Amino acid sequence: MSASLWSRTSSGSFRAVMLALAGLGLVVAALPVLVIVVMSFSGDGSLAFPPRSLSLRWYGAALDVLFGGDSDSATSAFESMATSFTVGAITMCATTMACVPLAYALVRRGGRWRQWVELLFTLPLVFPLVVLGVAYLLLSETLTRQTGSELGLLRLAIPHIVLALPFVLRNCLSAMHGVGRDLEEAAMSLGASPLRAAIDVVVPLMKPGILAGLIFAFIISFNEFTISFFMYTIDVRTLPIWMYSRTVSSLDPTTLAISTLIIALDVALITWVDKIVAGKGSLF
Amino acid sequence: MSTPNLMMPTQTSHLDIRGLGKRFGSNDALSEVNLSIKRGEFVCLLGPSGCGKTTLLRIIAGFERADRGHLLLEGRDITELAPHQRGFGMVFQSLALFPHMSVADNIGYGMKLRGTAAAQRRRRVEELLEVVQLPAIANRPVSALSGGQRQRVAIARALAVPPQLFLLDEPLSALDAQLRESMQIELRQLQQRFGVTTVVVTHDQTEAMMLADRLVVMKQGRVQQCDTPTEVYRRPANAFVAEFLGAANLLPGTVQADGSVQVLGAPLEAGTSLAAGSPVTLAVRAQDVRLHALGSDAGAAGHAVGDIEFVRDLGPEAELIVRCGADRLRCRSADSGLRQAGVGQRVAVHIDARRCSVFAAQA
Repeated sequence: MSASLWSRTSSGSFRAVMLALAGLGLVVAALPVLVIVVMSFSGDGSLAFPPRSLSLRWYGAALDVLFGGDSDSATSAFESMATSFTVGAITMCATTMACVPLAYALVRRGGRWRQWVELLFTLPLVFPLVVLGVAYLLLSETLTRQTGSELGLLRLAIPHIVLALPFVLRNCLSAMHGVGRDLEEAAMSLGASPLRAAIDVVVPLMKPGILAGLIFAFIISFNEFTISFFMYTIDVRTLPIWMYSRTVSSLDPTTLAISTLIIALDVALITWVDKIVAGKGSLF
Repeated sequence: MSTPNLMMPTQTSHLDIRGLGKRFGSNDALSEVNLSIKRGEFVCLLGPSGCGKTTLLRIIAGFERADRGHLLLEGRDITELAPHQRGFGMVFQSLALFPHMSVADNIGYGMKLRGTAAAQRRRRVEELLEVVQLPAIANRPVSALSGGQRQRVAIARALAVPPQLFLLDEPLSALDAQLRESMQIELRQLQQRFGVTTVVVTHDQTEAMMLADRLVVMKQGRVQQCDTPTEVYRRPANAFVAEFLGAANLLPGTVQADGSVQVLGAPLEAGTSLAAGSPVTLAVRAQDVRLHALGSDAGAAGHAVGDIEFVRDLGPEAELIVRCGADRLRCRSADSGLRQAGVGQRVAVHIDARRCSVFAAQA
């Protein structure tokens, strides 16, 4: 198809329109990222685009804020980052541990239930995040008032898990599809109990899907802002919340450097997912 | 037949299948299957697709539960036993080799589950690979193997822990014709060498004839005939079995007063004990029909006469379709004259009476 689209005989105006649209799409998608990356290397004291000089000073400042000093902002930044990583890890583990057995059950004996469960798990994605944020805030406040117990990190982890579940479940389901029933039966005919067959044969063959799900869950949790904004407390806040509080009064180039680092982490993780899922013939 | 007595199994049989029944929805996949398989016997379940042969094999393996009936292994009721407790080796139609394991790990998996030491496992794997004529591939990934190699690895894996029963589901269907033939011979030799009781499912009648000590011909969930290949071939139990085992022609006829059968407008001295006047079906193989060219309007006393309708050259011989009145007859002939005469040639039809079977016509 592409051959006919781009062949010399096809009309020049069509080609021009396609190129223009593709270029526009790329610019719209990439421009914010580009601006932030370029600005983070700025050598100026104030934010103006394009920067007049280049330096790594904001990265130094960022590292200092995150890991360095003993000032209040430093501890809270480091704590936010630690919280982000911890909540991300909890989200990864919880969603995967729920979705691997669930995907197995749905594919093997789900029958008509399968589509309903999938729909149910996808439901949070169609709710406005603000509504979800209010709902979770109400729920957690009620819980705290009724039982007197603080949820701690789970305040953030539970909504993150709910948001990540559909993605992880999809990955696990498609991975599970690739594992033929006959492989399990072969293991059983060789003397493996059904559980042993699942551990020895099904899980290793689902591995790419499981890994992709883990990484997706982490990225979703790490980047989540809206619900976290409702749920955060002074003790429990994530890096995006900290960055927001830092930029809301004045735009600090340090946050741009941190953003760039986060973008790099996201890109690295997504590249990894792509490698795992698509193998060698992938985009990157 | 009285109800089978579970307490008194036949001593000679290794696996006893008694009154097995299985329904899928409103469809009887198996009904009233009784079969007794002797130790060391090679049994072939044969039939068209949907005849229940695979279901029967899967019930024997434990992957499917029977609705009725019992399975007895050496007199012990194993009907309720889970697949992994049965100790049967199975080769799947897809082979089902574990793609994430090496050849050695595939073959050694059953031994690993039984706690065999690694060194002993390795020795046994080497030994088995030697037996299936694949030395020095133990460390290769399964994906690097050819179709025939995979086949052998699957067989070696199923035999690695000597199984009580060796089950194969259409094991050679994925191979090309030449490889299939050599694998058939190898499989038969392996089975004899291990002396393992074997049940194989196939829809290929030549494969079944070549492999088995005993054929079980099935249709719509029922056993049609169960006997040695020669016996099934020579004396099919009914028209279905005759047709499935290569009889290309099922001709309608009538039993005459002298015991011969009137078929295609001519009498044929086929042996039958059916009463005179009863309608019959005559099963004739294509190679048991001989043709003689006739003049354009000549008759042939005592023989059926027909016209060649279609000729197809198969190399050493030709396949011909002859129209005799309302019936069509498929036959084979090496007669080059007949081949050249071609469509429209009038021929006399000689059916070999000793090689055809007569069945009461189905109502």
